[in-house]
Amino acid sequence: MDLFLQRVVDAITNGSTYALIAVAMVLIFKATTLINFAQGEQAMLGAFAVLQLWNWGIPMWGAVIIGMLFSGILAAGLERAFIRKFDPADHLPLVIITLGLFLVINAVAAIIWRFDPQSFPQLFPSGNAFTYNNVRLSWYSIFAFGSCVLVLFVLQTLLTRTKIGLAFRAVSSNLESSRLSGIKIGPTLQFGWALAAAAGTLGASIYAANPVLQIEPSMMLRALIFSVTAAALGGLDSLWGALIGGLTIGFVQSVVVQYIPFIPNEMSLSAAVVVLLIVLTLRPSGVLGTRAVERV
Amino acid sequence: MASKIQISNGTRTYRNSRIVMWACFVISLLLIAFAYVDVGTISIGSNNYNLSLIRLNKAIAYTIAILGLQVVIGYTGQIALGQSFFFGTGAYISAWLIADHSWPFLVTLLIVIPSCFIIGMVLGLPALRIRGLYLALLTFGLAAVFPSIVKLDKLYTYTGGAGGKLTSNYKFIAPAWLPFDEVAQALQKLPILGGFFGDGPLSNREESRLWKFILFCVIAGICFWLVYNLIHSRPGRAMRAIRDNETSAAVSGINLAITKTLSFGVASALGGVGGAIYVAEVGIASPDDFSSLVAIYLIVGLVVGGVGTLPGAVLGGLIYALVPDWASSTQSISFVPQRWLQGPTGSLILGLLLIILTLFLPGGMVTGWRKLKNRLKPTEVRAS
Repeated sequence: MDLFLQRVVDAITNGSTYALIAVAMVLIFKATTLINFAQGEQAMLGAFAVLQLWNWGIPMWGAVIIGMLFSGILAAGLERAFIRKFDPADHLPLVIITLGLFLVINAVAAIIWRFDPQSFPQLFPSGNAFTYNNVRLSWYSIFAFGSCVLVLFVLQTLLTRTKIGLAFRAVSSNLESSRLSGIKIGPTLQFGWALAAAAGTLGASIYAANPVLQIEPSMMLRALIFSVTAAALGGLDSLWGALIGGLTIGFVQSVVVQYIPFIPNEMSLSAAVVVLLIVLTLRPSGVLGTRAVERV
Repeated sequence: MASKIQISNGTRTYRNSRIVMWACFVISLLLIAFAYVDVGTISIGSNNYNLSLIRLNKAIAYTIAILGLQVVIGYTGQIALGQSFFFGTGAYISAWLIADHSWPFLVTLLIVIPSCFIIGMVLGLPALRIRGLYLALLTFGLAAVFPSIVKLDKLYTYTGGAGGKLTSNYKFIAPAWLPFDEVAQALQKLPILGGFFGDGPLSNREESRLWKFILFCVIAGICFWLVYNLIHSRPGRAMRAIRDNETSAAVSGINLAITKTLSFGVASALGGVGGAIYVAEVGIASPDDFSSLVAIYLIVGLVVGGVGTLPGAVLGGLIYALVPDWASSTQSISFVPQRWLQGPTGSLILGLLLIILTLFLPGGMVTGWRKLKNRLKPTEVRAS
């Protein structure tokens, strides 16, 4: 029982970080119906920027905020330079562009910061919040989950209570009509990209701040698959779906896989892909997503 | 141009000129093989660039895998990113048969092709429901999963785990009837050019390398011929109809399910052949050679060469095999800081190529070349 509880705690911890990256994907998907394969790498770059700022002596959370701003501005620039000129309905060039960004960002980060894993500053108090028998609930877990929920609340408020949020929702619901009603499409989408990158950077920073993990250029490769699956599971256009998806994937990874004897431990990535396959085949809109209706 | 030579399509002269062109191509390929079997470097500045047959053989392996991508992405329009999965599957099946059952390389292809074809068809089944971006996601996931499947403990006896599967027990021995030595010596006696072909008779290693190169070229040639015929036949036209508009293809009576799974099957079989060749060249099948990064690089090859063009696959294979390698052997360029040359510069260049070409030359290099050629040609001959 203790083991089970411990695994549930791990599930929530991992799930929250996946959810944060998934939120970033959801934001971009909402805005441009595009899955950004470079999202994980953008987040990784942001986390490295945070580390660099921290090494320069900027206080930790200040570094995180500047890092989020930095990656937001960078993402807005990327959107303007590479994404906007393509037709959103034609998927192949967009997928190719994001794959190219994936390679470039990964290489640049590796050139600047090298491949060696580095330890990331502790964002949250270390140690355990409380222990019950052998179940340890660390502060990290609590704060990771808490910041995930907080980010979702902030985003929710931003999208429903502000003018630019309204514009964003209008664009994501119908691009043509919102252009006709005078919304500036470009800047709105740019805003979505910036928001997504900032959320991703926070996610990657929290992910790297996990006491058992270190930061390295390839750290998001695995996390990307988990996050994508989380986003698809929750519904690619639903913010809260990302949290549900993230927690489910965390649960599959840390609990389900451990209890099924014929699935070896290392198969958590495969399990995630199988979940992705099932979701996409049976319910492409995910748990909370809106169903796409195709017009012929 | 002072004297225009007009050759119109379909005449005997046209056909003969094509035959002559292909013969020139084959001869130049053979000359390259003989020239680079021994020394394989060109030096620019203070850097040496490897151009040995080892690189070219790898390029052939990638070319065939990219050819598969041409079928599924270029001609059928399904965004399937997971070619490294089939590349790896073919590689491991071939490695297992060679290492544990001491099959000869060519015979393993008889198993690799059908099994990859079937695996590809089965994994392509979800593509009947999943489209566009979702398919891209799923296939990317597939590519990411492959190394962890291979590393499974249960499969250790077949795959060799993280250490990889050695296939060095199989040696490529050139058949005795091939006059390699004679040709090499004849080439060395050529005036002026003879110096390029080394001296003395070929050693055993050189002969086997040469034999491998020629064998792989022949396999690649067969693959290209088959794919060329496929896309110019009825199923190929059906594939292109699906790419251009799925709904209207279905309305005109094309069976979407069969055509799509067929194209997935063909693509995977080609990926498998590529993987088998890769293992035959490298001598070991190791999990990290088939990671999701490889899947992306294969996409780079596809895009840089040109999506939906067959010669693009060759160009893409060469670029994938040579660019990262040359980037890492570039030790010094003036004005470029050392730091930028030591990291994953190849990956950076490939990524930049991908972005720049998609932005400015969406058809890839082959399309760019065709445009240029058409512009230079007199108008009468333009219909090709």
